[in-house]
Amino acid sequence: MLRLWPLGLGVNFSFTGDGEGNGATVGLDNYADLIDDPLFRTALRNVGLLVLLLPVAVAIPGLLATFIYLRVPGHRFFRSVYFFPAVLSPVIVGAIFNLLLAFDGPLNDVLGGSGVGPVDWLGDPDVAMFAVVGVHIWATSGMALVVFLAGFATLDPALLDAARVDGASLARMIWHVIIPGLSRTIQFVVVTTMIGMLTSMFGLLYVMTSGGPEGSTYLPEYYIWVQQGQMSRPALASAASTVLFLIMLVVGLLQVGLLRRAGRED
Amino acid sequence: MKQRTLWSATLVAGLVVLAGCGSASDPDSASGGSKDKLVVWDWKSGDAAASAYVKKAKADFAQQHPGVTVEFAAQPFEQYYTLLGAAIQAGKGPDVMLFNGGGQIRDRADSLLPLDEYVRDDKKRLAGWEAFTKDGKTYAAPVTLQGHPIYYNKSLYRKAGLDPEQPATSWDEFVANCRTITKATGARCFAQGNKEGIGIQFFLSGLGSGVLSPTEYDDWIAGKRDWSSPAVKRVFSLWKETNDKGLNNDGANSTAMFNDAFAVFQSNKAAHIIGLMSDIGHWKDFAEFLDAGDVGVMEPPVVTAGATPSLPYDGGIGYAVAKSTKDPKVAADLVRSLTSTDALKPFYADAGAIVADRTVDVSSGGPAVATIVSGIDRGKPALHVALSSKTVDLMGRLSQQLLSGSVTVDAAVKQLAASDQAG
Repeated sequence: MLRLWPLGLGVNFSFTGDGEGNGATVGLDNYADLIDDPLFRTALRNVGLLVLLLPVAVAIPGLLATFIYLRVPGHRFFRSVYFFPAVLSPVIVGAIFNLLLAFDGPLNDVLGGSGVGPVDWLGDPDVAMFAVVGVHIWATSGMALVVFLAGFATLDPALLDAARVDGASLARMIWHVIIPGLSRTIQFVVVTTMIGMLTSMFGLLYVMTSGGPEGSTYLPEYYIWVQQGQMSRPALASAASTVLFLIMLVVGLLQVGLLRRAGRED
Repeated sequence: MKQRTLWSATLVAGLVVLAGCGSASDPDSASGGSKDKLVVWDWKSGDAAASAYVKKAKADFAQQHPGVTVEFAAQPFEQYYTLLGAAIQAGKGPDVMLFNGGGQIRDRADSLLPLDEYVRDDKKRLAGWEAFTKDGKTYAAPVTLQGHPIYYNKSLYRKAGLDPEQPATSWDEFVANCRTITKATGARCFAQGNKEGIGIQFFLSGLGSGVLSPTEYDDWIAGKRDWSSPAVKRVFSLWKETNDKGLNNDGANSTAMFNDAFAVFQSNKAAHIIGLMSDIGHWKDFAEFLDAGDVGVMEPPVVTAGATPSLPYDGGIGYAVAKSTKDPKVAADLVRSLTSTDALKPFYADAGAIVADRTVDVSSGGPAVATIVSGIDRGKPALHVALSSKTVDLMGRLSQQLLSGSVTVDAAVKQLAASDQAG
């Protein structure tokens, strides 16, 4: 009841008006406004972009964990280094990368020194979303890396030894031994990373771009926050929340299906 | 399985039955305080520079109402309106609350108490009431004035061989001076921060009186805005040109106004900035980094013949009272204490804010303050303050698109006109 009642209220409010129409039933008007709002459409498109970038977000900690598992020189040191960002708050991470990615910041200084022109990392609408997602992956991959390392603990080392004896290259070992051996771990990381990307990027977005430039980095939860607080349109925000809820429901059901299938295979 | 289906059907049916009943916000709910206690929300009372101001105001109120406790709850400004909106909607809002003048308070006027009958005696003493007024009713009493003077760095003018006491009065002369300064010192013309889309607000209001004719300006403020007029389009094309011609610092769309753009100006990397009067990004802030005597204030240069430059200013911040407060008279008295001359004096002295009280002596503030204050009497309301929050938000995004070249001036103005007409 405690969970369903607020949810029901939110859905209910999405059918009422804002401002002078406060409390009046407006049917699906708020949903029509959402469809008409290019900002909300951008937010939804960005959800799609996150889904497309998901393999990258999973591959990076996977590869790093593989290198650590294969005992690259200094692997103990790297394990700590890769995990370290996971303990930082998104606000701190955002502030750090705001400095690093500033137009006159150190990264552009390095690029300028190497003859590549400066990039407006957070001011170019074609680049900003990738910059924020990149920082999110940097900040959160440590946790996925730990999960991968735990998965490696269950991997039969004899298979890797056999591959080595057969003279398999690193790429072949990853493709034919590690990926099949870690399929359940990979599926788990895919699910948790997707949840993280859809629900935990607000802090970074707020600090790094505030939804800009040109609204290019809006995500549904940021849109909801702006409409509710800045624009004083709680009913419209409720409608956007309902849409986000439905998206999460679909994603959740897909996740359940994925895990069930993994269980059956096992 | 059947039971689960039944529960789901019940939930869906419940939501359908409920759909559209009630409202997301509840302006008639009780406020946070009680008869013996007033809760005040703002983003100022936590600042050391405002402590003497709050102390004086509390003392003044305590003298009138010794039995009433006043509790200040300072909120972070970045989240202030979100938190306030949520609190009001939940019926747990404060009794007295701080607002910026313009769209934010007008958007929430439904939840506020009209103060006209309580502040009648303060009308002449305080300036800037218009920014807190909607449909002829006053919803807050002004504490400070907010405006957008053009500050310039006299030291850079001197280094470039220009007379720092004679800034340009026309746009062409202004641009020529900027070229000279950049050539001699490497400093850009404008420090510009538009990461949050705020830069355009400063630009529109800071330079607008030099572009629009006096009649067009007054019509704009009165709500009769002709977005298709050449002068209005000129403001937005000027915004684009300024960036395209390299007059701004690089990366304006990724430079935050607070405090990165101000830092560009303070560190001699730009000769001009359209700043504020109260109480950050203003003369006192700049004088902490530049020599106080080097902080100049100039009138907007004339871009269009016939324009009459003036200082754009409004009521900056002001305290309002929730409609739901238990005792409106007592809450209004607290607002009067917060806008009393004795309280506002230390706010000016400590924070450097140009307070709304015309009787506060600012003669010791230096040349920049003297120039600002001398412009108040013939100043006019800032152009962006007359726009709704929604239009201002859209203008911020369009201004970024103008800088990146992904929208034309005509298309941007058309969108703004549509948003403005929609209200």
